[in-house]
Amino acid sequence: MTTAEQAATLPAEPDGIKWRHVMVRVGQIGLGLVFLWLWKWGANSAGESYIADPFKVWDRLIEIARTGELARHTYVTLRISAIGFAIGCAAGVVLPFALRRMPRLTDAIEPYIMASVGVPKYALIPLFILWFGINDAPKLWLIGLLVFYPVFISVFAGIRSVDGRLLDIARVLGASESRISVEVIWHAMLPFFFSGLKISVPRAVSAAIIAEFLVGFEGIGFYIENARQQMDVTGAFVGIAVAIALVLVMNALLVWIDKRLSAWRPMDRHMEL
Amino acid sequence: MAALLEVRNLSKRFASRAGREPSPWIIRDLSFSVADGEFLTIVGPSGGGKTTLLNMIAQIDTASGGEIVFQSKSAPLGDKTSLKPGLNCQIGYVTQEDNLLPWRTCLENVLFPLMAQGRLNDETRAHAQSLIRAVGLEGWEKHYPHELSGGMRKRTSLIRTLVYDPPVILMDEPFGAVDAQTRVQLQEDLLRLWNLGRKTIVFVTHDITEAIALADRTLVLTRQPSSVAGEHIITIPRPRDIRDILTHPEFVDLYRRIRAQVQ
Repeated sequence: MTTAEQAATLPAEPDGIKWRHVMVRVGQIGLGLVFLWLWKWGANSAGESYIADPFKVWDRLIEIARTGELARHTYVTLRISAIGFAIGCAAGVVLPFALRRMPRLTDAIEPYIMASVGVPKYALIPLFILWFGINDAPKLWLIGLLVFYPVFISVFAGIRSVDGRLLDIARVLGASESRISVEVIWHAMLPFFFSGLKISVPRAVSAAIIAEFLVGFEGIGFYIENARQQMDVTGAFVGIAVAIALVLVMNALLVWIDKRLSAWRPMDRHMEL
Repeated sequence: MAALLEVRNLSKRFASRAGREPSPWIIRDLSFSVADGEFLTIVGPSGGGKTTLLNMIAQIDTASGGEIVFQSKSAPLGDKTSLKPGLNCQIGYVTQEDNLLPWRTCLENVLFPLMAQGRLNDETRAHAQSLIRAVGLEGWEKHYPHELSGGMRKRTSLIRTLVYDPPVILMDEPFGAVDAQTRVQLQEDLLRLWNLGRKTIVFVTHDITEAIALADRTLVLTRQPSSVAGEHIITIPRPRDIRDILTHPEFVDLYRRIRAQVQ
């Protein structure tokens, strides 16, 4: 038998692995059912004025999807989180890259940046409202700041982690510092960047929702808060469910982009979060 | 032949940490010169500062004393910021580890210096392709470094430097980490490519056989702090058959003399 023939007779994926995938899937669905049952049990025993009934939540979801209310609130929250996220993320990437070329300035400002991590951002909302008024600005400041820190810290660490020998050789090969930023450091720090993004995406949505509790008359945050004020527990649960779905969709998008950008990586895909 | 590269009284010690006694000299008063088109090999005990020497010539590390003169111009080696790594692409450097960019394919790695230097065009691309063929990497162009064998990565790293044609190439035990059979093939590849272009090569190794087989001249370095222990002109005629070099009568004599100097 030639090697090609031998290769053809080998199964592409052993049955054991396929079976394991099936088992994992069954387990996931099982856990989902257990969760649903616990939720239903909780609603029944605590009473619907504390925990909404999962089936009523589902019915309400369908109802507001029909009326267009769901799309409207989701759009508002999505829009503000996306803009805030883009601003915070851009600052979090650009700043460490700019600082790379200025080591002395970096050493000088690093302790201040690290100290400002400790400032409770949500506590600044009243000040933001005072300074920027009741519009999108205070929301964007809050989201931007909450996104900025994890991105900044991860990109900063990513840049520091780049193998110095790769940089030396790239210079020997004639690469300018800006080319090194784009061709070497950018790629080397991507895994760090994406772990920062995986923290920031849910943060951006949470920040938008919290800002909407306080400012504005639209958005998922407004919907939840409005429902609470009317003792509509089902409504609050619907808002939370929509927020979770939003984060999950955005995370899936992120994983997809990460996979495409780092197709070269010899990595165990099962490790993914 | 005129010296293209001259190392004069070069010394190196790494900065000591505060409160400790000064770190020892790695290299002390090392002087030698390399002629244009010469293949110089440098042998010495491991940990003898050979890599540090090449790093200083490539200007990615500073010197503590002495000077390095390239094309009659002395390079400032005092502080890290005035270094010009690779001296404007005049000095190529094939390091011990292949240092390929893992997110670039074999071909993209070979094209990297051309792109970085703004010299990527149809002609240089074709040159890159011919080098890939010359070292038998055809069919592997689209593979990432982690998908290549150790020998293939070495070849990629070698032609990544050859592709932009620097007048001087430094090599730091480039074939150290591959098996004996692959190593002989790589040595043959290197000699064949060198024969085509006759560049100036400074090749560091701890393998005496390799040092003799490749060189026009071999320098032997002492233990730390490194200085020159001996110099040997290799008169074995070219082209050489690396597989048969061991049986060459001159080889045995050279091997004995060099062996005696390598402590």
